[in-house]
Amino acid sequence: MGSRASSLLREEDIEEIKKETGFSHSQITRLYSRFHSLDKGENGALSREDFQRIPELAINPLGDRIINAFFPEGEDQVNFRGFMRTLAHFRPVEDNEKNKDPSSGEPLNSRNNKLLFAFRLYDLDRDDKISRDELLQVLRMMVGVNISDEQLGSIADRTIQEADTNGDMSISFSEFIKVLEKVDVEQKMSIRFLH
Amino acid sequence: MPKNSDIARKLEEVGIEIDGEVDSAQENSTPKNKGGKRTATEKRGKVAASEDGEDEDEDDEPPRGRRAANRRKVAQNETLEEDSDDDIPPRRCAGNRRRGKPGGSAAESGGGGKPNKRNKRGGKKQKEDKVKGKQDEKSKNSRYAGKEPSTELLFYTAVAKQFLRFSTKVDVSPLCLNSVTIDHHICLLAPSRGTVHHSFILHPSIPYPSEDSKSERGGEEEESMSEGERAQLMEEVEEKKKLIANIRNKPWRMKRRLKHLKEAQLFVDKFEGALGKGKGRKLYAYKVMMMKKWIKFQRDFENFKTACIPWERKIKEVESHFGSSVASYFIFLRWMYGMNLVLFSLTFGLVVIPELLMGLPYGSIPRKTVPRAEQATAMDYSVLTDFNGYCKYSALFYGYYNNQRTVGFLKFRLPLSYLMVGIGTFGYSLMVVIRTQSGLPMSLRTQSTLADRMAKNADVGGGDGEDNEFTFAWKMFTSWDYLIGNAETADNKYASITTSFKESIVDEQENQKDENVHLRRFLRVLANLLITCTLGGSGYLIYFVVKRSQEFANMDNLSWYEKNELEIIMSLLGLVGPMLFETIAELEDYHPRIALKWQLGRIFALFLGNLYTFLLALFDEVNAKLEEEKSIKNASIWFMQEYHANYTANHPNDIGTPPPIDPSDVIRGPCWETTVGIEFVKLTISDIQVTYLTILIGDFLRALIVRFLNYCWCWDLEAGWPSYGEFDISGNVLGLVFNQGMIWMGAFYAPGLVGINVLRLLTSMYYQCWAVMACNVPHERVFKASKSNNFYMGLLLLILFLSLLPVVYTIMSLPPSFDCGPFSGKERMFDVITETIDLDLPAFMGTLFSYAANPGLIIPAILLMVLAIYYLNAVSEGYKNANMELKKKMQMARDEEKNRRNNKDSTNQVLKDLEDLLPNRSNLPRPGEQEEKPEERKAPKVKPGAAGKGINVQKDVSLALANPNTRGLMTQAPGPKPVGRLPGNAGPGHKGAAPPPSH
Repeated sequence: MGSRASSLLREEDIEEIKKETGFSHSQITRLYSRFHSLDKGENGALSREDFQRIPELAINPLGDRIINAFFPEGEDQVNFRGFMRTLAHFRPVEDNEKNKDPSSGEPLNSRNNKLLFAFRLYDLDRDDKISRDELLQVLRMMVGVNISDEQLGSIADRTIQEADTNGDMSISFSEFIKVLEKVDVEQKMSIRFLH
Repeated sequence: MPKNSDIARKLEEVGIEIDGEVDSAQENSTPKNKGGKRTATEKRGKVAASEDGEDEDEDDEPPRGRRAANRRKVAQNETLEEDSDDDIPPRRCAGNRRRGKPGGSAAESGGGGKPNKRNKRGGKKQKEDKVKGKQDEKSKNSRYAGKEPSTELLFYTAVAKQFLRFSTKVDVSPLCLNSVTIDHHICLLAPSRGTVHHSFILHPSIPYPSEDSKSERGGEEEESMSEGERAQLMEEVEEKKKLIANIRNKPWRMKRRLKHLKEAQLFVDKFEGALGKGKGRKLYAYKVMMMKKWIKFQRDFENFKTACIPWERKIKEVESHFGSSVASYFIFLRWMYGMNLVLFSLTFGLVVIPELLMGLPYGSIPRKTVPRAEQATAMDYSVLTDFNGYCKYSALFYGYYNNQRTVGFLKFRLPLSYLMVGIGTFGYSLMVVIRTQSGLPMSLRTQSTLADRMAKNADVGGGDGEDNEFTFAWKMFTSWDYLIGNAETADNKYASITTSFKESIVDEQENQKDENVHLRRFLRVLANLLITCTLGGSGYLIYFVVKRSQEFANMDNLSWYEKNELEIIMSLLGLVGPMLFETIAELEDYHPRIALKWQLGRIFALFLGNLYTFLLALFDEVNAKLEEEKSIKNASIWFMQEYHANYTANHPNDIGTPPPIDPSDVIRGPCWETTVGIEFVKLTISDIQVTYLTILIGDFLRALIVRFLNYCWCWDLEAGWPSYGEFDISGNVLGLVFNQGMIWMGAFYAPGLVGINVLRLLTSMYYQCWAVMACNVPHERVFKASKSNNFYMGLLLLILFLSLLPVVYTIMSLPPSFDCGPFSGKERMFDVITETIDLDLPAFMGTLFSYAANPGLIIPAILLMVLAIYYLNAVSEGYKNANMELKKKMQMARDEEKNRRNNKDSTNQVLKDLEDLLPNRSNLPRPGEQEEKPEERKAPKVKPGAAGKGINVQKDVSLALANPNTRGLMTQAPGPKPVGRLPGNAGPGHKGAAPPPSH
């Protein structure tokens, strides 16, 4: 009792979330039920443990990074609004969105924002640059111990060498965008709702 | 209870006010509870108790299920309440009355009730929430009444508690059902009409029609849409329909047209059904449901199809650990198995089984009986393993088959069938190999599983996987499949990512290598020289051994080695040769992919040389046998004549009874066909033995030793010298190919060989899969084998052709044995065909065939075929060129797009310049527009359309600009026309710069 209103999905909330994230009504409710089912503590907010219970994330080498992306700096709880804000990056880009009014700014699910989300996964120290060390860490997570450190280092070097255009031996966001230019991010980084 | 219903009605009428009242009177609500049948506290306790249990499984339920559950709960509640008191009639009538209340008639309730509700939206909502609260209590669906319910919720639950006593009597659900389902897209979600039809999920606790009242409500539901709403909707649908009808005339670009068309069609689809009375709506719901089911079914079916591919999992597992090249061997093995299965069913179904079932039984004629001299040892193990004794006179071999023209009551023409199956085996194999060779890459691609598809997607997404410049970065950023939720799959994915990294590293190293060219060349020449020597040596060795074995054949009491010398030598050569080649190939230091090809080619040459030497030697033997047979034939003919002479002398009236000799005593020829068959079967068997033993010793034992002796050894066995074996792809593939070649060659003379081969492939699949997973380590130098499969098929085709030659030669030119096999007594084997034509087909067919066999016809036919081949070749060449051309165009288009994206700013600059030149002012807003979008500059490489409004708006603006320009010019005085033409051209020109005009 005496709780905050966040545990109840109200019409106004939905409207606001809709405005903020662009999800449709049914998608919001669906995601709310998912949110609720993840919320084992039943306190209207998710903790890191709640996320780690998802097998896909538990297995994922970048799982921790993804989970971190849900939490604002310095907090360890995320409510439904925050949850939706993060998920909005993964909203499929719809055709009819293209000619919407330009006043509302760039939507969260734009290509840029999707890429930015991915970029943040690799940018461990949030300095807007992926350094060699960060790459090495990710690599270690991805291939484990199967490849020698020396080789991992050369892979990381090679990656940076490929992507780096301004010669600062790290990958900035614009370089990151350039690397993934040909990847169909809009399609890959989208939740596909089954409706 | 009219009183109750009255109260209920009043309550309904004054919805909000009562709510407020009740809220304040919450404390004394319990005493008011009628009859105290269920106190609120009781309820709450129940809710709390059941909360935890029910919450969880409900959460996992899909919305549909949840809805159903709710409905069921309502129904339960109703039935529960039905047996309490005398409430049924009143409740019904209350419900009816209430339903009727807003207007009086159903139609009116649609018309009048709606605006009312709309106006009192707040009230209605509260009403709903009230019901929700009530439902929370009643059905214990406490989704939103979590441990810390919100203030609103508290409020509503209080209200609901108040309300509860009525609800025990009065079923409110129909009412609120009305308000929900009726206008679920109008009242609640008026702003977003497009997304309505899931909106009920929003109120999971809103009661749904209970079973008994559903039918009555069904009618109501469709009426419940207000007239105004309906009219509006109708109008919109009409509008959309009109749009669909004349979208062709709209001055839009194709993309936009398509988009609008799609939207309009969707809209019409969605709401046309909703507009229909009763049936239309249900039909629509049904359609949607069926569509979903169909999609799900398709997905399941795809899964099922994948699950049906034999060994798919096994192969994928191997692939993820050892890379695509090792997996390609297993895919090849599986393919071979499939092909052999067909050959097996052909041979056994049409030759072996008919002979066994309908032919003469064993022991009835000489060819089906073990000769007297061999009978003593015919069952000995050593004899049987040599395929002598009973084996030799069994249906496994050519000699067993009788030359009876027809067998059994079906008049099955066995000899003809034998020949046809022999030819059919080759025909089928040829067809399959050729077809697969051209189609394999495609089929492989379609078979790929999720992981593959992901990888492929990466390629597709990037246009050409081959020439992209960000190999490592891509692998780094896009290789993980975020949908993997299974630990084992994740392991495989880790392994495959590792492998792919290693492959890239190898490629990279190869690219960066620079070395002494002259030394390299010299070493390569040297290596080839060595290999040629080895090949020649092995050929000579085999020839020598075969000659020796012919000498041995005339001798008695040979040792085991001397008897099996040929097979042993051949297997050993097959074993040692590849290793030797590999060692020599180290000198050459090719890229692994090229090295593999070389290695394959060399082993191929070795095996082929061995096989052909063996065949040549065998032909010598066959010729010797033929000589021998001729003398025996003469002897037996002489014997028969003698016998008949005596017989007719003794019994002058009686001719034709066969000599009363036991079939095992009859003098018989050597039956060279069976001998050849036995040779091939022995070769195959020894090949299997050697292969399996090699794996067992060379891989398994070695792995065991390395693994366990490592604990007590002076140096690190795992990292040092013996280490674990690598999977030898080239050797295994060629082993398989040559094995198949032997099967093809031998199958005609030993029908049982195909059966043996099927068994071999089957066991091999499991055995090798196990061995490779258990005792091998992935190649140190890993590489992709994307096109290797095609290469294997090429090898197979070659070997098929090469094995076709000797068989066809024997069929066409050697006389069959006179006393064994289905063709005995004939001049040539193919005589069965002419015999069948003469005897079984009508006479004109015979003449037809004789014409067809005329050289005068055959030569033109061959010429025609050559012409056809030439023509098809030319056509395919043309297609290839066209393909290249198209590919180039695509590449260009892509480049163009890329440039456009990259140079958006500069393009815009150009645009601006161009527009500045324009004489009219309609381009004035342009710079403003540009300034409005500063973030655009920050991210110039964003894809158009995807990135959001900024660019699109800009595009639209440019579109809009182009039109005003021209329009403005047209309305202008003709004076500046020459100038006007320039912008007229420029308009489309810069439009093209944004989206290319050629589209």
